[in-house]
Amino acid sequence: MKMNDTLIQDSIKVASKAISKVTETSDSTNWWMWLAIAEFGIIAFLLIKEQLKSKVTAKQQFKSESLKQDIDFNNIINSSFNSIKLYDELKVKCHPDRFPTDKEKNIIAENLFQEISKNKTNVKRLLELKEEAIQKLNINF
Amino acid sequence: MFENTWNNIIDWFRDRSERAKLVRSFNDSAKNSFVAGIAPTLLKASISKGESSYKHQFSNWLNSGYRIQAFTGRILSKNELIHIGTVILDDSVLVRRLIVLGFDTLEIHGDAGTYGCRWQLKDYIPLPKFNENE
Repeated sequence: MKMNDTLIQDSIKVASKAISKVTETSDSTNWWMWLAIAEFGIIAFLLIKEQLKSKVTAKQQFKSESLKQDIDFNNIINSSFNSIKLYDELKVKCHPDRFPTDKEKNIIAENLFQEISKNKTNVKRLLELKEEAIQKLNINF
Repeated sequence: MFENTWNNIIDWFRDRSERAKLVRSFNDSAKNSFVAGIAPTLLKASISKGESSYKHQFSNWLNSGYRIQAFTGRILSKNELIHIGTVILDDSVLVRRLIVLGFDTLEIHGDAGTYGCRWQLKDYIPLPKFNENE
């Protein structure tokens, strides 16, 4: 009877050892599995990212370039109301016919006049040209 | 296909935000100029329905008009309204921005009456022909 008890006890010990071994091995398998899943996740993420990377078309490029440029709204509003007066003043004062004898000034005035005509709706540029006319042609406004 | 749909959704939101920013920036500048006495009339920009026959490759399905209305202060004559339109159309950067953001019509209106001027934006900038399958 006593011997039977020890046998039972031993078999229980063996069983518990076996169970603990199985648990240990299954733990290590889980760890590797999670590592593999993580790797798979990274690969899948990189593949999707590569797929989603937009191919820039000519149309998109045209659009993005247009959106990069700055717009001076203050100048647009100012030009809407004040460019006509400034243009009229400049076109009279900087006309090349006002410098018939001085050839050098005549050429400068001609270039200025062309620029003034080209920018007649841009107050900012007209003011720059006015400054240029004061300096190069000695005009008093 | 998924890629295209996703990009279209992102583009739509981005364009919407840029369109609102364009209108807001114009209105801020117009308000400041009016307050400072630079402009005798308060201008206000808004998005309108637009003219369907003015469509181009960037046009929005709906609301493709950029409307500028003269409020308060002095009532503007037709020539003054045309001049405001010319100033805007002469600014190639602004016209290009309006086109890529889906606008195809520029409208300038006075506060009183129903008269106004309308321009087709694509006439003022050379638009290259894009191949959609590129």
